[in-house]
Formats: sequence, structure tokens, C-alpha cells
Amino acid sequence: MKTATLNGIAVVRAIATGELSAVEVLQVAIDRIEVTNARVNAFTGRSFSRARAEAAAVDAKRARGETLPTLAGLPYAVKNLYDIAGEVTLAGSTINRSNPPAGEDAVLVQRLQTAGAVLVGSLNMDEYAYGFTTENTHYGPCRNPHDGTRIAGGSSGGSGAAVAAGQVPLALGSDTNGSIRVPASLCGVWGLKPTFGRLSRRGTYPFVHSLDHLGPLADSVEMLALAYDAMQGSDALDPGCHALQVQAVSPGLHSGVQGLRIGVLGGYFSDHATPEARAAVASAAAALGATDAVEWPDAALARAAAFIVGASEGGTLHLNDLRTRLSEFEPLSVDRFIAGALQPGAWYVQAQRFRRTYRDRVNALFKDWDLLLAPATPVSAPKIGTEWLDINGTQMPCRPTVGLLTQPISFAGCPVAVAPMWPDGTGGMPIGIQIIAAPWREDLAFRAAALLDRAGVAGVRPVNFLKT
Amino acid sequence: MTDEEVLSYVKASAVALGLTLDEARQHSVAVHLARTAGLAAQLGAFSLRVEDEPAEIYCPLPFPTTSAAREQR
Repeated sequence: MKTATLNGIAVVRAIATGELSAVEVLQVAIDRIEVTNARVNAFTGRSFSRARAEAAAVDAKRARGETLPTLAGLPYAVKNLYDIAGEVTLAGSTINRSNPPAGEDAVLVQRLQTAGAVLVGSLNMDEYAYGFTTENTHYGPCRNPHDGTRIAGGSSGGSGAAVAAGQVPLALGSDTNGSIRVPASLCGVWGLKPTFGRLSRRGTYPFVHSLDHLGPLADSVEMLALAYDAMQGSDALDPGCHALQVQAVSPGLHSGVQGLRIGVLGGYFSDHATPEARAAVASAAAALGATDAVEWPDAALARAAAFIVGASEGGTLHLNDLRTRLSEFEPLSVDRFIAGALQPGAWYVQAQRFRRTYRDRVNALFKDWDLLLAPATPVSAPKIGTEWLDINGTQMPCRPTVGLLTQPISFAGCPVAVAPMWPDGTGGMPIGIQIIAAPWREDLAFRAAALLDRAGVAGVRPVNFLKT
Repeated sequence: MTDEEVLSYVKASAVALGLTLDEARQHSVAVHLARTAGLAAQLGAFSLRVEDEPAEIYCPLPFPTTSAAREQR
């Protein structure tokens, strides 16, 4: 299986200098997708006609002597809960096939188009984003590019797999409880869950309004930063978008971490991690000069509250279809949707009241620390179909447990960069680490991520499809 | 809640919400709800003051900026 892969930063530079045309680059991406997708099942939709028009527009702009925008000619793809004008937004379901096509692109797709990026298609996910494994019964499981017998993580599994497989250098996902960070960890790519309220969610199919975030996955820190910067901006029409201005991270990306107070999360985050996951964090901590163990406040309770809020809002959102189209739901998650819809209101209110006090305790923690490190997943990618995980001698149900370490962080709304690590003892599979910052301080997480990349501690590794 | 109590709750609340669940589905949903009940019990033991409000999203209108407030006068 020989096809070329694209390095995102190299691509935008080559197009900017005229060394490559956007149309040439797009053809490389299309060839890679066509040859490899049967192995990973990342793409559920292809928008090659649109992509050819977008790439041609970039080349025409260059031919006219105009300055190209930052991502000109970069091929990318989106989780299939992002609206793409003229296409039905599936959100991993078959029920949504009866919806009309989207009238316009999601806001983040519009912003990437403005930045010159070229949309090549949409990506596999857990139905309605309720899952951490992308074992989608309707469209088939998304397979981990590093070992096709293993999951890619979820719910943005297609996004992680497409980047890891070299199909696109950049993909967009969503993260409610860990759905960007889990696939980034298990597929070995860079990922960003921004601060809650940083990026507009308008034009995407929701899972849990109180918790949904959008963000990028990429083949390098620089690519991740460029894409994130291009997508920033306020949006008065998204009630969950709190950002009022762009705070670009790319200019300070290589500022290093001197003077930053960096700790390692212990307790809950250590107790629920395998030795390999802890080793990944230890490698990063050594490179960043972090030695102190830090206790995150009420992590187990935050996970419980996040679970309750997610199940309740998610289940209620689909209540009408649960009444009338029950048999069409994903069998792996439909019972959880129903159970969520049935939850007593008191549970939900308690969880939301807890969240407000929890936020104060988490923000207080960042008076003493600038960055905190933790594993992104307790384990490397399990086999597809795994029902139970052994975490330090305790049997835990696989599908919810994969997100055990991400949920408490997103419930607080803190930004997290995921760095791909490759610890010993995993059979060559990656485990990512979370680089966690205070709300609105993505810049600090990016600086640490860039240092880990430069030091050779973290990074994306090429896929050997012959192995799978 | 006991397993029987969870199952009874599932049956009753499903009726209240207009959900038609066969017996097998009632049982499988009850397994999930029982797991959530355990989480809710942990969370319910956390002490909150009466003034601890829920986390917010709703906002009636963005707070007026200084210039907007001046225009209102």
C-alpha cells in the first residue's frame, strides 16, 4: 500500500511558495483516502467536487498575484456532525438521513474556508457523539490506523484516524466529555479541546449543550495552532460562545516553558491509569521539568456530574425520536439515551449546582499552577468489541471507562492540548497526555506541547499499513 | 435503590414520558440507570449551600458595554 502522505505545514509552505499547486496537493490527499479508507473506515462522506473547486480557487488567487491566506490549499475533513452546505448532517445516525440538507456550512467550516483550507469530506463518529469508541453499527467501526483490530477512540474516531492514517493533515472534531482527546490519544495525533466557549459551535449537531466543545486534531503542533487561530472569533449567535476576541497562539508557540509552574496530577488520575499511561506522563513531565504531584479537586464527583448532565441533556434531546423511531438508534448507546431521559430532575439540578462550585475550586488551583499533566486515556487502544477493561486489577466497563480521565477536565471547561506519546509496553500503540491550562490560557498548553515536540518526546508516527 | 425499585422506576417514568419499552429493554435500561443512581448518590452527598446556583448558560441579553450604556441614556 504505497501512497504519499501530506505534512500539513510543509503543504501550506509549498503552496505559498508556488512549489506545489493546491490542485496537486488535493489529488495526493484524494489518492490516499481512496487507497487507505477501506482499512480505517474514517470517511463516511466525500466532497471531492467541492474540494476541487476550492483548490482551484486557491490556485487562481495565486495566479492573480494575491496574498494567500494562512491555510491556503490545506486539505481537511470534519466529523459528520458539522454542517456542510448541501449535505445532510448525519451525526453518526441513520435517523438524520430524513433531515433536509444543511443550508450553509458550520461557522468553523466557513472560517477554515476563509483561511483557504480545502474540505475533502466528513468523518465517522459514534451516533450522536454518545461514545468513546466509534464502533458505529450503521456505518461500521472506525479502525485504528496503527492496528486495524483496535478502536480509534471516539466519538471523533474518524477525525483521529484520518489524521493518523495520513489521509488529511487536519480534521475537526467535537469534545463533550473527551471526544477529541480520546481519539487523539488512541490514534497518536495532536488534539485540542479549547476552553468551553472559545470556538463557535453554530452549525453543528449538538450532543450536550452544556458541555459541547469543538476543536482540531492535526499532524503537528504547528498545524494545530494555525488551524485553531484561523477558527477563533466571537459569535453572538451561539449562546455558548463566550470568547470576545482572537487570542492567537501561533506567534508565541516556541516561547518555551521557562518560568511556568507545571505539575503532574496524582490521585484519581494516577489511580485510574495503567503503568504505560503513567509512564507517558512521566516522560513528558521529565522533559518539562515538572516534579510535583498535584491533587485535582473532586475529580470523581466531577466525572459523576458530567455523566449525569450528559445523559440527561443527551437523552432529552432525542426524546421524540426515542418515542417514535426507537429501533433505528445505535444499539450500543440507545439504552443509555433512554436511561438519561428518565433521570430524575433532582440529579440533574444537583450536578449543575455542583458544577458551579467545582469551577471555583478548579480556578483556585490555577493560582498555584500554570499547567497540569495527566494521561488522556487510562490505556492504549483496546480491541474492537472489548466489553471490559482491567485498570490496575479492577474490572471496568470499557466504553465509558475510556473517557474516565477526560471528563473531569472538560466539566470544568479548561483547555487541553493532547500530545501523542509512545510508551513502552503497548505493542507500539500510542497513549496521549493531557496538557491542561486555566480557562483562556490555550497559549500555555501550546507552548508546552511545542517543547515536547521539539524535544522529540511527543509526535505523530507514520502508519505501517502492512502490519495491519 | 434496589434492582426492583430501579426497574419499577424505569417502567413508571417511561410511561410518563410516552416511551414504549418492551420487557427486555426495560431491564437493559434499568442496568444503566442503576449505574447512574450510584453516581447520583455520591454527588447527592456533596454539601451545597442554598445560594449555590446552577452553572449558567442562559443570559437575557449581553451586559451593555460602557458605550452602549451611554447610548441608552
